[in-house]
Formats: sequence, structure tokens, C-alpha cells
Amino acid sequence: MYLSREEERVLNGEEGWAYQVAMRILVKLGDLFEADKLIPIESAHISGVSYKTIGDASIEFLEALGESGAKVKVRSTMNPAGIDYNHPEEMIRVPEIMEKQDRIINIYKSMGIETVLTCTPYYINKPKENTHLAWAESSTVVYANSILHSWTNREGGPSALAAALIGKTPNYGVHKPENRLAKVLVKVKPRLKSEAEHGALGAHVGKLLKDEIPCFSGLTHTRETELKHLGSAMASTGMTSIFYPDTSCPRISGELEVVSVDVNDLKNTFDSLSTTNESPDMVYIGCPHCSAEEVKRVALKIEGRRVRRDVKLWICTSRYVRKKAERYVGIIEAAGGKVLSDTCAVVTWLKEIGIDVLMTNSAKTAYYAPTMNRVETIFSSLDKCIEEACE
Amino acid sequence: MPIVLKGRPIMGGRTRGRALVSKDPLSFLGGVDPETGRIIEKNHDLNGEKVGGAILCFPHGHGSTVGSYVLYSLVRRGIGPKAIVNEKADPVVVVGAVIADVPMVDGVDISKIRTGDLIEVNGDEGIVIILEERSSCT
Repeated sequence: MYLSREEERVLNGEEGWAYQVAMRILVKLGDLFEADKLIPIESAHISGVSYKTIGDASIEFLEALGESGAKVKVRSTMNPAGIDYNHPEEMIRVPEIMEKQDRIINIYKSMGIETVLTCTPYYINKPKENTHLAWAESSTVVYANSILHSWTNREGGPSALAAALIGKTPNYGVHKPENRLAKVLVKVKPRLKSEAEHGALGAHVGKLLKDEIPCFSGLTHTRETELKHLGSAMASTGMTSIFYPDTSCPRISGELEVVSVDVNDLKNTFDSLSTTNESPDMVYIGCPHCSAEEVKRVALKIEGRRVRRDVKLWICTSRYVRKKAERYVGIIEAAGGKVLSDTCAVVTWLKEIGIDVLMTNSAKTAYYAPTMNRVETIFSSLDKCIEEACE
Repeated sequence: MPIVLKGRPIMGGRTRGRALVSKDPLSFLGGVDPETGRIIEKNHDLNGEKVGGAILCFPHGHGSTVGSYVLYSLVRRGIGPKAIVNEKADPVVVVGAVIADVPMVDGVDISKIRTGDLIEVNGDEGIVIILEERSSCT
């Protein structure tokens, strides 16, 4: 990979250890994937914030970086943490965990990373079309490429952080137009209605395609919410970083490989995302974090009703959206639901707060929660989730 | 006569030690106990082995990118591998080797190396030398 004189200087440690390590990460990844050079990025999004997922090992490295005084060069945001400090009554209450989570957030903050603590930073600040980003968190990546038409590889926590500190990323993968061409046509036979059905479709297709780029035909509800659920599920079961919701898209020359999805495929995947028939002790909406529109949908559905005493209803979103949708937050909370921010069900401690069965409209959560949170899952649409949560 | 295996330099540095060889991909997050350096990945052919002080040879990494931080932590605590040899390097292990400053070579046919062999890893030139094969008749 070509390096400018300035980049060479950083690599040789002339700007200090932290920037040297960051540059070394980018150069090694660039070499590995045969990038030709480093390109400037507009923003970075950093994953690896929840103490539950990153553990003590990461703190040691991050602290070393933070103590060296390293600062990000571009606008950078961070993923959800394991705790919503504004709702301690809902959270695990172990002082050591609270303290370590706080430490992690502060290390990132000291580097200049904005404490948005959300997987939907695009609701706060939408990146421009056709600009290069270095975003981690797979649902955020697929959303940026497919819905916002920005360009980012599927970064991991460390590589997104390195890119943020340098302000650049190696030019490979979907940063190159020739690697953004659809290769597979997914023909969807059933008419999908709910966001959950779009999630199930995503989970099914992600498993089949691995990292090949699909375009879809037959999607009739191509609203933002449905596409967000489709993409995040696809990126969970597969390595997808981009999809096209219809067939008017750049594609490889020649015939596209065709994959058909019929009613049974969808039903089988939908059913496979539930692991139990028992009744839930938590109903969870907010993976990926809710938009203001989704918060409103929950509010309109729940207005004038009451959440059952034996069920927790969690709606997770960013602090920014929570504020923006304040009126609807009030309706949900009056009904006995909790609108939380800075965290989500997957990256917090569920078992430890007494949750054994989780009901959700998120295919991504239903896919991860049995292993990451050791809970049983029930997968259903938002409407059915709210029905189940209420008296 | 030492056997020389030519690969690709990933992370510089030169070291020698006993090889710990696996046929299975390894996830550092969840697959290696960060407190002891013991491999705890289910159904892994090195399950129960400690990576500390060994030259760890495995096809490639898999799993969460947090694995890079686990490798860093193991090395910092002195219970990490001395060097890494992969068949095909992947981002998680590469980033781990970079931040932990551990010599690493990939593109090597690791089936030529056996657990217990004394080997040298030259991360600057991308070569692995089998200095002394584990004696098989003792």
C-alpha cells in the first residue's frame, strides 16, 4: 500500500505510540486486503463499548491509548453501552460493573468520541451520499451503504478506532465502486407486511449469501423501518455489508444468480427465531435502536392501556431520539413501559436482572440473545409484542 | 537440516519456541480464557492447552473483533503466545498481533509443523524454520 511522507512519519512513531499503533493497524489491514492507499473518511463509528461484550481485556488496551493523549481526527460516535445510567432501577446493580462501564465510556470520550451511545448514529447526523466512512457495528454498516448510499467496509471495533485516530481508512472492499455491484437477485414471493417479516427475510438471506451482494425483487413495503430490520438481520446471520432493495442498481455484467424465497422459507426462518412457547418476562423493541417514527408507533398502539405487572416492556433508542419523541415517550411511560437509552437488550445483563424469556420484533436480537444473553426468545411483530405486554 | 517454510510477513520480530499446532480456526473472544491463557473453545482440538509461551499455529481466526483486545491482554499479562503462524491471516488476529506486538507470519502450510517442534518465526522476512522436530520415538 502506498503511504505519503506524512503517513510514513506517523507509522515510524514520530507522532507517538498511539498514532503509530493506529497507523500500523490500518497499514496491516490495507496490505492484507490489497488496498492501494489510505483515503480520508468523513466519520467513524466505534463498536466495543459495552463492558459486557468487551470485558477487562479491552480496557487495558483502550486505557493505554487514552493515557497517551490520542484524539480522533474526524467526527466519531460510539455504540451502546451496557448500562442506562438514567434508569438505574432497570439495570444490573453491581458497583464494579457500573464503575468499569463508566471507565470505558470515559476513555472513549477522552479521545473525542461523542457519547451518543447508539447503534443508529445516522438519526442524529446523517452522513452525505458517496462519502467514505469507517463504521463498525454491522447493522450500522449495512444501513449506511444500502439506505444512505455512503461507503463503509464492515469495520471491527479496533479498526474503526484506528481509522478515527488517523482520519483515514485503507481503500479496499466496498470503498471501490466495482465491489458494490449486485451479484444475486433475491426474488421474494410472499408479500411481506411487518418489520419482523422483513427481519426474518434478512436472517434467511444472510445465511444463504454470506458476503455476496444481493438486490431484491418483490419488496412492496420499502419503508425505512422495514429496510433497517432487513439489513440488520442480514448482517447478523451473514457477512453482508450492502444490499439493494430493488433491481434498479449497479450490477455485475452478465446474469445475476437467482435465489427465490417462498412462503415456507420465510415461515421456517420466522419460526426458527423463537426458542420457546412460554410467556415472556420482557418485551423488547429497539434493535436496532428505534427511530422517532417507531417510538410513535409503539405509543399509538399502547395509548390508554396498561403493561402487565409480570412483564417488563423496554423500548430502546438514542438519547437524541428519546428527546425528539418526548411526547410519545410520555405516553409509553404512562402505560408502564420504559423508554431506555444508551443501551439495548443484547449488550446489557438480562439474566442477571431476572429475565429468562425475551419477546422481540427484532430478528437480530432473536438471533443473538440465546447465546449472548442465555435467554429463550419469542420472535413476533411489533403489534403482537405490544399486545402481549399489555393487560 | 532445518526445514524452512516460506510465508508472508505480517508482523515483524524474530523469536523461537515450541510449536502449539491446531487444525481448527480459533476465536480469541470466548475461545481463550483471558485469565489463564487456556483454550476453552468447544470442540477445539487444542481445548485445555495453554497458549502462554508457545508459538501458536492455526489456520486462521474467527469470531468477534474484540478478540484482538484479548490477544493484547494475554501478551501484556505474560500468558500470551510468543508468535503466531497462520495459513490465512484474518483481520481479528492481525489487529491483535499488531497491538500486542507479536511476530506473525501467514501463508504457511502448518500441516508441516507438529506440536512440540522447536521452531523459529521470522516476522520480518515471513519465514518459519523448523529447527528441531519433536522426537517421535521417546
